[in-house]
Amino acid sequence: MHPTSQQTIGPFFPAQFFGAADHDLTRISADAAPTRRGETVLLRGRVTRQGGLPCVNAVLELWQADAAGRFAGEAEADPDFLGWGRACTDADGRYAFRTLMPGGFRDGLGARAPHANVTVLGSGLMRRVLTSVFFDDAAAVGDPVLALVPSDRRALLIATPEGESEGLRAFRFDIRLRGEAETPFFEV
Amino acid sequence: MSIPNTAATDGIEPVVPVPGYPNTWTHTPAQPLIRRLPGRTDLAGPAALHRKLVPGAVNLAEPTPGRPAIGQLMQVSGRILDEDGRPVAGAVVELWQANAAGRYAHANDGSVAPLDPNFLGHGRALTDADGRYAFTTIKPGAYAVPVEETWWRPPHLHFSVHGPSCLARLVTQMYFPGDPLNAMDRILNAIPDDAARLRMIARFLPPPSVGDLFLGFTHDIVLRGRLATPEA
Repeated sequence: MHPTSQQTIGPFFPAQFFGAADHDLTRISADAAPTRRGETVLLRGRVTRQGGLPCVNAVLELWQADAAGRFAGEAEADPDFLGWGRACTDADGRYAFRTLMPGGFRDGLGARAPHANVTVLGSGLMRRVLTSVFFDDAAAVGDPVLALVPSDRRALLIATPEGESEGLRAFRFDIRLRGEAETPFFEV
Repeated sequence: MSIPNTAATDGIEPVVPVPGYPNTWTHTPAQPLIRRLPGRTDLAGPAALHRKLVPGAVNLAEPTPGRPAIGQLMQVSGRILDEDGRPVAGAVVELWQANAAGRYAHANDGSVAPLDPNFLGHGRALTDADGRYAFTTIKPGAYAVPVEETWWRPPHLHFSVHGPSCLARLVTQMYFPGDPLNAMDRILNAIPDDAARLRMIARFLPPPSVGDLFLGFTHDIVLRGRLATPEA
């Protein structure tokens, strides 16, 4: 069967669809106990469009492995970690996730460096865009997917350490949908 | 002006930029999308996503019993399927829409059309073992898009569907059969393929299947995911 066509999420995605713990991947739900495995980190940044202007009310969805590099549902995966979260940008285009530092893993593509997948949906985006953020430039060297990105654009997918906040290591990952220093995106 | 990342979707996916929709000129990546083979990161998915996105209302038309929303009551139901036609059980289906006057209950909607306090503009369901979802709602109104050369959006429902893998994530819209605004809608008509556009239009269900209280529509949604077949 043919897949149903994508359409823009538009400007009216309901605020009620964002639950209190949706941006916090370390808890499966607002009333669930946090995972006890791994290092909790902050991942934050801005989503901008051409001209560096903020994208307001963009929806970001994060998907990643647990601290040991296992995905939810796989054998021995962290039972308190779903690996999925959702956040919305504010009037300045800013978003923030609280998550686990993902572990690296091996699959048919080779040895994957620690990374999280980020989908962005928003008004003006007729199709979702998908990218990956890596947390450590030394570890990311040799990642078989990052290697597909033209070498002069790879640094755009490495999060920048931003010190500590709330006692947690913070990483900054800006997403530029179009224009100067445009974020590399993958086919979906 | 051509944007390379719209290629190779067989006319099923929207072509951008969309005339009359200025944001598509400034938000769509200009660089080509990077092709990669799917790995574990793509094939896996949050199997118990409903623990995070907890199922919510499926009756948007009467959130408070005895106080129905204004508008044409309607039932919309259908199945979430994969590309092989198999039902997707346990999919999270989110729906949101304008009220009968064409107004969203959202801070970003600056329309002068009235809000309806008895209409809940959003719902969330989990598909059953047959991949079925069902909502009771009202038929949304059309509304004018607030751009310089305005155009009308036909009545439509927004659907956000989370399938079993990272790849099977779909945000789409559903339209109504026979609406004259469909032929002029910039967003629907951004899909080049005639058959693909027709698949976004719901099918009317005659009264014997839904009774005389509701308009009935059925709408199946097919998620991508064949790419998710593991490499040999």
